[in-house]
Amino acid sequence: MSTLQEIIDDFQLMSRDEKLDTLMDYSENLPDLPQRYHKARDEGKNRLHECQTPVHLWVEMQEQKVQIFVDVPREAPTVRGFVALLLDAFDGKTPQEVMECPNTLLNSLGLVQILGMTRLNGLSWLVKRLKQEVTRVCAENS
Amino acid sequence: MSEYTHPDVLVSADWLQEHIDDPNIRIVESNEDILLYNTGHIRNAVKIDWQNDLQDELIRDYISKEKFEELMSKKGISNDTTVVFYGDKSNWWACYAFWTFTMYGHTKCKLLNGGRQKWVNDNREMTKDTPDFPATEYKVSQINEDEIRAFREHVLKHIDGKKPLIDVRSPGEYTGELLHMPDYPQEGSLRGGHIPGAKSVPWSQAANDDGTFKDRKALEELYAQGAGIAEEDDVIVYCRIGERSSHTWFVLRYLLGYKNVRNYDGSWTEWGNLVRVPIEKP
Repeated sequence: MSTLQEIIDDFQLMSRDEKLDTLMDYSENLPDLPQRYHKARDEGKNRLHECQTPVHLWVEMQEQKVQIFVDVPREAPTVRGFVALLLDAFDGKTPQEVMECPNTLLNSLGLVQILGMTRLNGLSWLVKRLKQEVTRVCAENS
Repeated sequence: MSEYTHPDVLVSADWLQEHIDDPNIRIVESNEDILLYNTGHIRNAVKIDWQNDLQDELIRDYISKEKFEELMSKKGISNDTTVVFYGDKSNWWACYAFWTFTMYGHTKCKLLNGGRQKWVNDNREMTKDTPDFPATEYKVSQINEDEIRAFREHVLKHIDGKKPLIDVRSPGEYTGELLHMPDYPQEGSLRGGHIPGAKSVPWSQAANDDGTFKDRKALEELYAQGAGIAEEDDVIVYCRIGERSSHTWFVLRYLLGYKNVRNYDGSWTEWGNLVRVPIEKP
């Protein structure tokens, strides 16, 4: 587990190819969606409609810490990679830490030039939707 | 495939399998997802990214002639290499790369029917090994921009001349109900609708579910009978950034043999933002 700042610092030192390799590594290490969510996913629940790729996201709270569960198809490695990076930064962290994530994270990671506008919009939404889900689950639990 | 006007431009997976080690062939994968190639690709295929490789970083345009020559050299492509394109999304980006290569005057281009998805679904061999080919000398001798690329001025003239325009976007984008593809991010078009007079023929109608192209008869029904365009017509196709319309450009030019088809790559992300251009919205 890393902090978001550590990830950003690392990315800022990387070349274009190193960034893509790192995203690829993240993509390959995205944990599978737990079995208990499979039925809901297959029914199309919790799908993020802002993202062109079918991404399904669930947030749970455990001892005041955020638990994130995501499903992203293997045919969309860039989205998988970015989602896995968000998990690395925020899974098991406090809701406050998630809320502090800048909406301009892709800029901070230096991915804007590499991925281009077309691919970015969907990814930017992932950060916003993660925050929304965390807010919603926190409200439900309070 | 023999029923098409230029059947030699479209190759089957069996054909590619036989030619996979042919030194006169270079296989090029072009995808929407920049990392998809890295998860596995056809053996000996090189990756060309529609954005990082083919588009200029600063201006909304394609790379310079010199940059294209450099790219070809780096990918081991000579002027007489036959390039076989394939990719994800029913070959959208493969067609886009094919169109771009044609613009730089590369004449020996072919497309893998069914693209990446069919190859994967047929359980054909994939590898993560990136091939390394010796650098080549490549010279762009002529740019075919006038023949296959349309700019907004041409589109305005087309409207005045009541010449055929084909809008290949989804029905919701054509009617202006949506400013972007279903499930795709909004890309900043300020207005919705279509270019006046454009006929709606969504690109997907030209493809089968497995990503291969429909047969000639079905394609003729779609474009000749359905949209009323004739082989000798001067046709402009467009979508939102020119990728889906490259697919239709390929169908009209190579499968049906239309001689004058241009792709308006500015497409809706340009037209939907231009001041005072006419828009039709039902």
